[in-house]
Formats: sequence, structure tokens, C-alpha cells
Amino acid sequence: MASLVAINNKTHLHLKVSPEKAQWHGSALHLIPVVASEFINLAVQYPVVLTKNGDTGQFVFAAMLGFETGENLFWQNDQWQGLYLPLHIRRQPFFVSTNDDEQQGNDEYAVFIDSKSPTIEANSSKGERLFNSEGIDTEYFQQAKACLAQLIIGEKENQTLLAILQEMELIQALSLEVTFADQHSTNLSGLYTIDEEKLAQVSDEQIVKLHKGGWLPAIYSMSSSLGQIHALIDLKNKKKKHHNEQI
Amino acid sequence: MERNKLAKNNQAKQENGNAHSFSNEVCFQEAICEKGLAPKTIRTAEFADIANYAYHLDSGKFAVFLQKHCQEKLGINHIIDDVIQVNSADNDDIASVSTKEHGDICGEIFVDCTGFSSLLIGKHYGVPFKSCSDILFIDTALAVQVPYDEEDSAIASHTISTGQEAGWIWDIGLQHRRGVGYVYSSKHSSEEQARAVLAGYVGDKFSGLKVRKIPIISGHREKLWQNNCLAIGLSAGFLEPLEASALVMVELAAQMLSEQLPQSRDVMDVVANRFNEIALYRWERIIDFLKLHYILSKRDDNAFWRDNRDSKSIPQSLKDLMKLWQYRSPADHDFTSNNEVFPAASYQYILYGMGFESDYRHTPYVLDDKTLAQQHFSQNQKLTEKALASLPSNRELLNKIKAYGLNRL
Repeated sequence: MASLVAINNKTHLHLKVSPEKAQWHGSALHLIPVVASEFINLAVQYPVVLTKNGDTGQFVFAAMLGFETGENLFWQNDQWQGLYLPLHIRRQPFFVSTNDDEQQGNDEYAVFIDSKSPTIEANSSKGERLFNSEGIDTEYFQQAKACLAQLIIGEKENQTLLAILQEMELIQALSLEVTFADQHSTNLSGLYTIDEEKLAQVSDEQIVKLHKGGWLPAIYSMSSSLGQIHALIDLKNKKKKHHNEQI
Repeated sequence: MERNKLAKNNQAKQENGNAHSFSNEVCFQEAICEKGLAPKTIRTAEFADIANYAYHLDSGKFAVFLQKHCQEKLGINHIIDDVIQVNSADNDDIASVSTKEHGDICGEIFVDCTGFSSLLIGKHYGVPFKSCSDILFIDTALAVQVPYDEEDSAIASHTISTGQEAGWIWDIGLQHRRGVGYVYSSKHSSEEQARAVLAGYVGDKFSGLKVRKIPIISGHREKLWQNNCLAIGLSAGFLEPLEASALVMVELAAQMLSEQLPQSRDVMDVVANRFNEIALYRWERIIDFLKLHYILSKRDDNAFWRDNRDSKSIPQSLKDLMKLWQYRSPADHDFTSNNEVFPAASYQYILYGMGFESDYRHTPYVLDDKTLAQQHFSQNQKLTEKALASLPSNRELLNKIKAYGLNRL
């Protein structure tokens, strides 16, 4: 559980963070939220799907990293073995929230840090500082903030894309029975994807809307990324085999 | 000490439902109800379910919705007016109805939806009303709207029906209040006594509530379709609301009419005969099923229950079934019409829920396959545990639906 503390250049003047350890935050996630602008990068390795938020039942975009809760098949030997690290991992240990003190309509955001993040270095000889000795943001912290900004924009774009997909009824449930090499099988439920048949039948007006909005790359990336489920099965089989050999 | 322990055990039993009740052994839904859980989660698509459920609709709003649907989507011309006269054709069909403001309205077929006044089928055609008050004694309802204690008080996920000295009380949890009512037999209880029973059930709040008294006339028309006129709704009949059968009958009749709408006057009498046969069969089965609830009770605190068990008050069709069920459980072949309102399972829930025991001495082989039975029981237990672990409370789900809505898929 993240424990969020607002960052300021007094309390956190000397704080040091090791960015390369951010990936630890995803070591036990089988689904990770993603934003539309990174679908193309994700689709090279991970299935990009839709799932529903447990609290609200609303759709969220997610990259699939494993088949069951707690399973990230890209996490091996204490390292993330994927080519592309999703923004939600790279942003660690920083979080952003609208500042309650601000007037509405003001785009000021407050930046928080997860005080329990493994990226925070107790040993001051390692890691990157957030502030220089004058209390001004370091280049590292500026980059971290840029990453958060990208996420904020990404979340807004996600909502727009979701609304369009729902309005055009382009989402369908993904029902899939996956059988592993050891004949063990699992039913994937609660996942959704693009309904390609419906996509092929959208009206001229709708396709223009998708094209002008720049949504087609994201939509096609989602569709094509489903093939990565086979790669994921392969990873799982290898992991199982390795596990069995050790026994 | 012992007595205290026993009381505690009984209390625990009540809180967890009856652990070994028939319904608990064969279905996971009793456990959900006892815990006040919702039948689905916020992630379940709209109209999809994890456990079976139904909605309570605001009938006033629903009527407006249907009216709008009919006018806007189905192109129906909706006229609101008073019928002052019914005009016959030579063959005794209804040729037209005269209205106060819109003159005569001609038609090939007339659906009598005039409620209890039964203007066409009852008053015009004089089709007799077949009362079943000799079988089902309940003839009065006292209803109240009970506010919740707190804004976030638990909402029961099932209609709670509790037997009383001369009838039973319904208790329906809605979003903003409970609907509670006592239906009773006025031959077995005075109104004053009935009010006292209802007050005892509702508790302190009762004194401030407005009590609505509703007469219940149990029975139905001997024919539901006469000439070119058929009755749907209260004009056709009504029964005490124990199984919400009145609504089902409206739906089934409307569906049957839409699917079998006569193509010409020539075929109408054939369609009408079949409609009558099916509808009457359904009324009789519902009456049997409602009566079943009463005849198994061992209550002796009021003549209401004793009279209900009196053989003279039990229809022969139900007596026959009870005879068969002495030796075996209700089965699908007891209900072979494809127009059944209640399946065999419904009868099983009532029979065995009331502690009835079938005697398998003559057919012990029926109980031979203990492994299979055990498999089903343990499967149900797994389902129960899973449901209890994953379902939110009814209140929590309703609040979420209000905040976020349900997804279409």
C-alpha cells in the first residue's frame, strides 16, 4: 500500500530516489493501467485490454502481464524483462492529485511521493536528488513531473476514447480459455477488447471521427496486441517448466 | 446456563439463516439474502447477474415510460377518455365504444384494461367472476411506507414474507424506504387486531405512519376472451400478492396476444378458445401454488391456519399432487404444460422449506446415489462461499449504481 506524502523542498531537500528501482512497483501486478498514447509501444509485448474498475465498474485500459492476481510474467530474477515500461511504472514513486486548496478550474496539481517506495534511498550515497541545495527542482525531478503530466493528459484521453468506444459499441467481452503446456487451463474473464466486426461496420461519419480524433492507431494496437496472449502463455509455460525442474 | 446457550445457538442460527434448510443445501441464494448482499457487483453488466434478481419498479413512472414507448416507438395513437357506451355488432362482437370526448372508436379487437371495474368483459359481456375466496381466504391488505432509520441503513435483498395469525406480512426493501403490509382474512381477524399485528411488526415508528387499507378480491373471470374482447390485468382477475403472480399474468397474456394476434375474424374464435384454455390453466396452477403455502403449516394459533388445512378448502388438483408427493418429490413431469408459471423446483422449495418429508420406503433406490448428491451439495457450498466473499451489500451496490451506473456489457 502506497503511503502518500506531499513533496516540498524543505522536508524533501535531501531526499534521494533510485529511478531504476521503480520497476519493483510492478513486480506483482498482473494488470497495469495504461494510457492510449502508449498503446503502440505496449502492443509490441503486452496484450492491451479493457477491464473494469472493482470499485466503480467503469472500464479501464490495462496491459496484461499475467493470468492471475499477483502474477507478472515479465518479472524475472528481480528484474522487469520487458522492452517498454508502462508510464504507470515509470512514474513511481511519484503521484499527483488536484490540490484541494486550489480554486476550481485551476490546473495546479500537487505532487506526492510514496514514502514506502523501495526507490527511496536511505543511504545517501546512491540515487537522484529531487532538489538542488537552493531548493530548485533537479533535472530528474523535472522529468518525473513531465511523466506525471503525460499521465494526466493520458487519463483525459482515455476517458474520451472510452466514451467513443462505448458510444459506437465497439467493446466486446473477451472470453478465452487458455490451456498451458501442462494441460492446466484457465478461463479468462472480466476482460474486454475491440469488437472488430463492429469496427468494420462503423458508418462513414464514425470512421472520420475516429480518424480525425487520432484514435485509430490506439484501436488497432489494442486489436493486434491480443496476439501477445500467446507470448504470455509461452512465458507462463517456461516459468512452470523451470519451476518443475527445480522440484 | 443450558437454556442461555440454547437461546444463543438459536440466535446464531437465525443470523446465519438455517444452515441446513433445503434452500441452503441446494442453492447459494439463501445465504446471500440472509447477509443482505446484492445479486451482482458493480462490474456485472446491466441486466446480467451473479444471482437471480428482479427489480421493483415505480409503477407510476413505469406507466409513463410505457406510454411514451408506445407512442414514440410503436406509433400508437393514445387516447385518454371515458367509455360511456359499448356498441355491439350483429355477431355480438364489440363494434365500437362511445367516448365522452372522442366519439365512437371502432375496432376489430378490444383489450379490457379497465381494472377491477372490468367494463367490457365483466359489465358488457357479463362473463362471471370466479371467486376463489373459498380456497384463498385473504381479502384485505393494510400497507404502510416505513422510513429507514439512517440514510445508509441496510436494504434487504429479498422480499421478506412472515406468517401472522390471520395472514402474512410483506416487507420490501426499496432504496429510500421499506414497503410493509399485512394481508389478512377479515373473517379471521378484525381490522383493529390486524392493525395491532402490523404495529407489532413495524415497531415504534408505526404510530406516525399512514395506513392504507386495500381490499383484495381473489379470483378471475371464467373466460378471459369473449368474442373480440379479452381482459388483461385486474379486469381479468387478482390473487393475493404472495408470489407476485398478477404481474406475471399481465406479461404472459400480453405476450400471448402479441404472438397470436388473429389475422382475421375467421380465426379469432379458435385463438380465443386456446387463450382461455391456457389462461385458465395458469390461474388454477397459481391458485394451487399459493394454497400450497398454507396447507403445510402446523400453526394452530388462529382458525385461519386450521381452516386453510381443511380438506374442503383444498382444490382437487392440489390434493392429487400432494398424494403423489407423499412418496416422491415434485418433478417436471408433474407440470407438463409448456405454459407453466412455476416449475417443479418452486414446489420443492415450498414443500421442503415447510418441513414436508416424502417417504421413500417404497423406492429406496431413488436415494442410492449419495456420491452424486454429495457432489451437488459441495458444489453449492463452494458457490455459496464464493458469492459471500465477492458480493457487496445491497445498499453498497445501489449507491454505486447511482454514482456510476451499470455498464451495458
